[in-house]
Order: sequence, then structure tokens, then C-alpha cells
Amino acid sequence: MTMVQPAGGGASGRGSSSGLADVIDTILDKGLVIDAFVRVSLVGIELVTIDVRIVVASVDTYLRFAEATNRLDLTQTGGKGLPEVMQDMTQGVGRSKTKGIAQGAMEAAGEKLRGLVGDSDEPDEEDREPAPRRRRRREEE
Amino acid sequence: MPGSTGRTETARPEDARPETARPEDATGHERATGCYIYGIVPGDVELDPDPRGVGDPPGRIQLVRHGEIAALVSDVALDRPLGRPDDLVAHQRLLDATAAEVPVLPLRFGAVVTDREAVVEELLGPNHDGFLVALNELEGRAEYVVKGRYVERVVIGEVLEENAEVARLREEIRGKPEEATWDARIRLGELVGEHVAAKRDADTEVLVNALAPRSVAVVVREPTHEQDAVHVAFLVESERQAEFEQVVDEFGDRWPGRGTLRLLGPLAPYDFVTTGRPEGDNG
Repeated sequence: MTMVQPAGGGASGRGSSSGLADVIDTILDKGLVIDAFVRVSLVGIELVTIDVRIVVASVDTYLRFAEATNRLDLTQTGGKGLPEVMQDMTQGVGRSKTKGIAQGAMEAAGEKLRGLVGDSDEPDEEDREPAPRRRRRREEE
Repeated sequence: MPGSTGRTETARPEDARPETARPEDATGHERATGCYIYGIVPGDVELDPDPRGVGDPPGRIQLVRHGEIAALVSDVALDRPLGRPDDLVAHQRLLDATAAEVPVLPLRFGAVVTDREAVVEELLGPNHDGFLVALNELEGRAEYVVKGRYVERVVIGEVLEENAEVARLREEIRGKPEEATWDARIRLGELVGEHVAAKRDADTEVLVNALAPRSVAVVVREPTHEQDAVHVAFLVESERQAEFEQVVDEFGDRWPGRGTLRLLGPLAPYDFVTTGRPEGDNG
């Protein structure tokens, strides 16, 4: 199951970053805007919400990507059990070593994915409880 | 509440008597509480006791009915800012729990009007028919969001392997101080970003193609993180929920270890609320 409930909080403590990020992605800039419907009685309450989203195309992002690319390289240099890769690197051969590292990382990530897919729906079960349950009268008739 | 303007003649404990905390007759504009609106539902719903709303202490959720529709509201203190994590979570949790049972038109976070009368007179009354049509269209449907995030090492490894210029730039900056290789670093990061974006587009297209036949509508959301792989909202018939989830699971299994895939839902249809106003469609 890949099922995850959207609520923050839960086992990892309130406002866990991923849960809260999911909420912020959704309710701050989506949904009906009351200003389009209500004007006279609108109350401008102060909101303290923080926009945690990042601009995907920015110099900061570029520098982060560059650093990550560089780090990938360093990981490889200090990596365990990659003698062939080390040799390729000293000879300055680009392609074969990147292939090696990509395959290694993909295997590792594959395990991680399976782990996440396997257990993601349980800790959130509790989050569903405090929410209100409703019944439609119409359906009971 | 200390720190207000010192009007005392209308001060009341708003959590004790939410119905009466409306000092408009006495003061004109200085109010202790407002009416926070979460969303709009069919008028024939019943609230289970004790749902918790925004504010501290959390407001008690109530229904304001008008005709065949109703608004989910709670009183909220106006002298404290809203938007703590608990507030945001309370807003979405209430709406999502509602959406799992009945149609709901979710409002964006932060909608406050003066009082319950205003909810009827300005919101529900004038827009009754439009809201009712929208609610009927949402009957038996809920939103699901599929979020995928790349494993950085893997996706950058792919980019390195597929792009000679990226590999060359990486060699160029290797072991050199940041100041000396600034331009190359920016160029490298920009190139990597472009290629990751291209992968995102391609992966999103595959996902949408797989899930669109199982959905009523699709909105591709903007990426909210540089390692976002897919971020797509789907409106799904409840009857097809299991089928939809199965396809997402299969998609996750097929992904060759490149990232993590999460399915959020059922959610209120934040990305699909349309009332004939241009404002509503900004996916």
C-alpha cells in the first residue's frame, strides 16, 4: 500500500515536516477563495502561515544541484567496494564510473522504496480517528 | 484577552457562549470572535460530536444551514493570529474527513466572516444554487494526490550518465574551491535542474496516462520541491477508489528504485472546486 493519510502530527510528533508540507501545499493556495463570494462581512484575520515551498528554478536550487552532483562524486571516491570505479576515475574516464554509481544507488534506493511502501499506512491510522464522521440522512432513507 | 483596545463592556468568554459572542451591536467594529468557514456541504449532513477546529483552544465545529446546503464553521478569536501548524492541520483534517463521507466544497485556509448571519446572508444565500450544483457534481467523488520524490543520488546519477556536458562540468569543479568555479557550478546546477525537470515531465506524463482513465479529472500541480518527481491531483469516483489505488501501487512497484511515491487521500477536492468563477481554477 502506498496509502498515506494527509494529516500532520501522528506518531512522529505534531507538525512533522512532511505532513505539514502536504497540508501547506494544499490548503493555502487551493480551494474556494472567500473573497470571491463575501465582501461586506469579511474579517481580515492575521495569518502567520509560513510559505515553506521553494522556488524550483532558482540560483539556490542550481547551487544545491551542483553541490549534490559534486557530493555524488565524493561519495564515490570514498565508497566501499568499488575498485573498478576508482581506477576509471584516476584515468579520467567519465561514462563507466557514472554507470557504476547509478546502478549501485538504484539498488539501494529500491530497498528503501519497498520499505516505505510496506509500512506507510499504519502509523496514520490514529490520525483518522479524531476527525468527525458524518452520515447523510438521505442515505438512511 | 489582554492587549486588546480596552473595551470591556462587551467582553465575553467566547468559548463558553459561542452564539452570543457578537458585540457588533455595542461596538460597531471591534469584535472578539469571528466565524471561521471551512467548507460547504449538503444541508442534510449530520455532525458527529467533538470535531475540533482551528484556534487555541480548538473551536467547536458547527453547521450553518441554509436551504439545501450548509457551511462548516467554528468561532475563532480575532485577537490572535491564525496559522499555527495545528490550525492548518485542523482545517485540512476536518475537510478531508468530511470528503470521505459527503461532497464538500473546501475553502482556502483563513476564511473568516463576522458571524453566522453573514455566512447565510453573504455566502450561502447568494451562491446557494451554484454551490448546490457543484456539490451534486462532487457526489461520490474525492480527490487523491500522488506525490513522488526522486532519490537525489539516483536521479542525478542518471543525469550524469545521460549528459556529457554535465559530466564534464562536474570534472571541472572537482576539488576546486567554490569561488574559483562559481560559473561552472551555476551552469552545472542549471543543467542538472533542466534535466531533472525533463524527467519530471516525462514521469508525470506516464503517471497521468496510467491514472487518467481511472479518474474524472486531473490537475498537474506545480512541483513544490526540486526533487519532486510527480505531483498530480486526481478526482476519483469512490467506486473506483480501489482500482485507482491498485494502479498507483503498481506504478510504485514499477518505478525502478528512483524515488518514493505517496498517495494522499481521500481528500476534499481542493484542486477541483469550480463555481463558474475564474478564481477557482489555478491548479
